[in-house]
Amino acid sequence: MTGVLPGVAPMAVPPGAFLVVATLLFAIGLAGALLKRNALSIFLSIELMLNAVNLLFLTYARMRGDLAGQMIVFFVIAVAAAEAAVGLAIFVALFRTHRTVDVDKIALLKW
Amino acid sequence: MPALMMPAVGGELVVFGFASLLTLAFALLMLVQKTPVRSVLSLVVTFFGLSVLAILLAAPFIAALQIFVYAGAILVLFLFVIMLLNLEEEAADKDDRPVQRTLGLLVALALGGLLAGATLRAPLPPRGAPTSARIPMPDEIPALGRLLFSDYLLAFEVLSLLLLVAAVGALLLSKRRFE
Repeated sequence: MTGVLPGVAPMAVPPGAFLVVATLLFAIGLAGALLKRNALSIFLSIELMLNAVNLLFLTYARMRGDLAGQMIVFFVIAVAAAEAAVGLAIFVALFRTHRTVDVDKIALLKW
Repeated sequence: MPALMMPAVGGELVVFGFASLLTLAFALLMLVQKTPVRSVLSLVVTFFGLSVLAILLAAPFIAALQIFVYAGAILVLFLFVIMLLNLEEEAADKDDRPVQRTLGLLVALALGGLLAGATLRAPLPPRGAPTSARIPMPDEIPALGRLLFSDYLLAFEVLSLLLLVAAVGALLLSKRRFE
């Protein structure tokens, strides 16, 4: 993974640096999703993971000189918006019935 | 366009270093914050850094979307819901599953290291059949728009339907039940 494909404009910053940043962001998001107890914080961490993958898509699009990667990011952002609306509505409904959004306390489907 | 082929090397490196440090630092801050409001506000800064990185990757349209949709719409929605639910007191009570937290942290670290190694080592596959437009470096937005309304037209229309369904679904989910 050294650089751009032949025929693509060269990059001033080595693309590997972008890939490392994106991977680190994904790992931070994963840690948040595993460690947090508040459902809203878990949801935020998932948004961060989505954004890390978006950064990967943009980097590969730039390395290949192909717009399809940017197109996928466009769709990911739009689907994330829909997901956020529905997810937050679920949390509001959950809070209304359980008075909490702590995922350790919500075990309705567990036993 | 030979002028665009030779970018100003030093400046871009400095901007990249600043933006990536900002992004990673505030993502870590998001991780260690106890209250969700502070997590959301840290993530706003992270998204601004990500949008700077998108500009460095010749994607100004995505950079603008990042700020409008993520920082502007989604995170504000988060803030509204947090204030609606009044969650401040919930963050204080103690953790009753310390073993699972430690294991989770270890798994996240291991997977992060594994992914970083794999991503850096994987070869970039050669360009196959030209399925979509090349990135035109000075202005990519007209090309992106043409692509959106030709090759990706069906996906675009399905997406508009999805957003409509999500809006109606969110309304239905969060409204009070009629008894």
